[in-house]
Amino acid sequence: MSSERQQTKSCPIPTRVLHLKDWTQLPDCYSQTPGGTLFSTTPGGTRIIYDRKFLLECRNSPIARTPPCCLPQIPGVTVPSLHPMGKLQELKEELEEEVKDLPAEDNQFEMDI
Amino acid sequence: MISPAAGEHPLQYNYTFWYSRRTPSRPANTQSYEQNIRQIGTVASVEQFWKFYSHLVRPGDLTGHSDFHLFKEGIKPMWEDEANKNGGKWIIRLRKGLASRFWENIILAMLGEQFMVGEEICGVVVSIRFQEDILSIWNKTASDQVTTSRIRDTLRRVLNLPPNTIMEYKTHNDSLKDNSSFRNTKITL
Repeated sequence: MSSERQQTKSCPIPTRVLHLKDWTQLPDCYSQTPGGTLFSTTPGGTRIIYDRKFLLECRNSPIARTPPCCLPQIPGVTVPSLHPMGKLQELKEELEEEVKDLPAEDNQFEMDI
Repeated sequence: MISPAAGEHPLQYNYTFWYSRRTPSRPANTQSYEQNIRQIGTVASVEQFWKFYSHLVRPGDLTGHSDFHLFKEGIKPMWEDEANKNGGKWIIRLRKGLASRFWENIILAMLGEQFMVGEEICGVVVSIRFQEDILSIWNKTASDQVTTSRIRDTLRRVLNLPPNTIMEYKTHNDSLKDNSSFRNTKITL
C-alpha cells in the first residue's frame, strides 16, 4: 500500500431540505443511508433513491394494499377487486383456474389463511 | 395534482401508467396509436405505485398485441412528444415467460432512481407480442452516449442480464422513419 498522503478536495455533503407540517410526514428512511447505486456521482444533485428490497418491503403496508380510487375498468388489464391479502389471493385464484376442469367439490382447494 | 400523502414515501418524479392494445391486422399510424393508448393512473409515492401495480394484470397474462407503459408524468409514451423527439430507447427481447419478472424489476429500478442519468429517463414499456416480449427504456437524448451507456450498464445490473445479452438501441427518429418500434435497431453486445 502506498504510504503517500494526498490532500483531497473537500466539498459539502449534499442535503435535501424537507419542510414538514407534522411528525407523521417524516419518511421512514430518515437518517439512513439510502440503498447504494452503482455510480458514485449524482448528476442533477441529491435524489430520492430506493433500492429494490426497500420498495418490495413497502408493498405490504396497509396504505399500499387498499385499492386506488378511480381505477379505470379495463377487462383483462385492471383488477378492481383484489382481496387485501393480495398475492395469496392471486395464487388461490391461479390454483382454482388450473383445477376448474376437474370434477371437484366446492372448497376442495380452499386455502387456510 | 397528485402528491404523496402523509406517511407515504415520495418518488423523485410522478409517474403515469398507460395501457395500449392494437389489433395486428390494422396498420398503425400516429392517430390510431394515440386513440388506442389510455392512461390508467398517476402515482407520486411508493405506496401509490403499489396500489396501482397490484391492481394491474401482470404483463405475462395480457393477451394479444398489448403494452404497459410507465412514464414520467407529463410525458406521453409517443415518439412525437416534446420530451421524446430527440430521444431513443434501449430494447431487450425476452422469450415468453419472462416479461412479468423483468417488467417489475425495470420499474423498481426506474422508480428507485437507480439509473443516475439526471433527467434523461422518460419511461419504460413492456410490449407483449406473438412470439417474444420486449422491454424498452426511453431516454431524452439519443446522441448522449454517456447517458445511453450508463443506462445500458444499469440495465445489465438491475435485470441481471447474462453477459452476452444482445441490447439494441433505436432512436425515435428512426422509428418514425420506418414506422416501426422494434425493427432496424443498432445492436450492441
